[in-house]
Amino acid sequence: MQLTVNGRPAGIEDKDSLSVTALLDELKVKDALYVTVELNGEIIDRPVFDNTVVKDGDSLEFLYFMGGGR
Amino acid sequence: MAQEQTFHFETLLIHGGLEPGPSGATTVPIVQSSSFAHETAEDLEDIFRGRKAGQIYTRLNNPTTESLERRLALLEGGVAAIATASGMAAISTAVLTILRSGDEILSSSSLFGGTYSLFRDTLANYGITSRFVDPTDLAAFEQAINENTRLIFVETIGNPKMDVPDIAALSGIARRAGIPLMVDATVTSPYLARGRDLGADIVIHSTSKFINGTGSVIGGAVIDNGTFDWGSPLFPHFEPFAKKYRQFAFSARLRKLMHKDFGACPAPMNSFLLTEGIETLGLRMERHCSNALELAGFLRNHPRVGWVNYPGLADSPFHAIAGRQFGNRYGGVLTFGVASQEESFRLINALKLARNLANIGDAKTLVIHPASTICVDYSPEQRTLLGVSDEMIRVSVGLEHHEDIIRDFSQALDSL
Repeated sequence: MQLTVNGRPAGIEDKDSLSVTALLDELKVKDALYVTVELNGEIIDRPVFDNTVVKDGDSLEFLYFMGGGR
Repeated sequence: MAQEQTFHFETLLIHGGLEPGPSGATTVPIVQSSSFAHETAEDLEDIFRGRKAGQIYTRLNNPTTESLERRLALLEGGVAAIATASGMAAISTAVLTILRSGDEILSSSSLFGGTYSLFRDTLANYGITSRFVDPTDLAAFEQAINENTRLIFVETIGNPKMDVPDIAALSGIARRAGIPLMVDATVTSPYLARGRDLGADIVIHSTSKFINGTGSVIGGAVIDNGTFDWGSPLFPHFEPFAKKYRQFAFSARLRKLMHKDFGACPAPMNSFLLTEGIETLGLRMERHCSNALELAGFLRNHPRVGWVNYPGLADSPFHAIAGRQFGNRYGGVLTFGVASQEESFRLINALKLARNLANIGDAKTLVIHPASTICVDYSPEQRTLLGVSDEMIRVSVGLEHHEDIIRDFSQALDSL
């Protein structure tokens, strides 16, 4: 499936859908414990990462609070 | 480590947040670099925008410090931790993250002298008012909340007053008022109690004390338990952070504003020393507590000692609440009184093993005369409020053999 991650195209091979938790693992997202995930413009609450499904065409933004800008 | 959440506290002290690096080193590498290079302009932009995790500049984050922060967050059960240059940096950064001009702190009157000075004098210059109330008088505490109160601040064991507030009850008062509870847990350390379990929203540590354990480092930490709803209309300045970062709203505002702008970051070397020191926290706290209990028992029976204040003594008014909150352990700090200030000076000067200095939580036994040192700038009324009297000596009981500690105090008392 094809996703847009942080404004850039990202392909996930051999998968039609994934949970947010599995996607963070698949993309080897660093410090996943601290990331906030925005899926198609909606912030996903951490407790539902396991149950939220990401599918072809979705757009995701990862937000960290540790960085320099706001 | 995937199974970190299931490890016992003692195991997390050693392994929590420790990620094996390519070298195979078993200690946390000291990354002594002011800034961090990235392959592409896009990478650095992503990190600055917060889209990607990564290092920028040691004032903002540093791999050695992040290793310490991960371990502290795991130990406290918080969602995030921020290490600072000192305990006072932790308090000032955390408090200023929450409060604006016109806001008020409802603070325990039983406070470390440095915190009292920050709240009473420095913050007042910026339009933040502090009200000081006895934290063991719950009714008075609740009544002192007004429409401007935005924070409750207490210490787990008042230093040096040695009183022990009912933190769960204070948490209930904070909840009812819709404001956060910040708890300075320096004297108890995460080993005696996790602030989160007692109902604290934010936990403060001066890591210079028991977490370091050897008197070699100045450091502090703020732990965000992610338990307070920062989307509340009482905190409109949190709105963008609550919307964007949800349970990390407090950490995000702290990191992206106060920590970044005031710049009270720890040196990587200090963060390294703290990751070393913290490994033995559990063993050390057990010995600090048992030695303090031995010394308190000895002092109470000595004819030259007027009084001993240690929550571990069965007749302490705080024995029951401390036992309940801290797992029947009572900390490594006690105070006692002799006849006068003059006599307390003679006693301190006669001690051979215990060191006369302004610190607690060292492996060495430490003493200080608070009225003439930490609280020297305060009026007699202010010292009374803080629980400091002229004849009082504070002892941070170290890890030496308890018979040697007692022998030292015994010979000093006998010399009076």
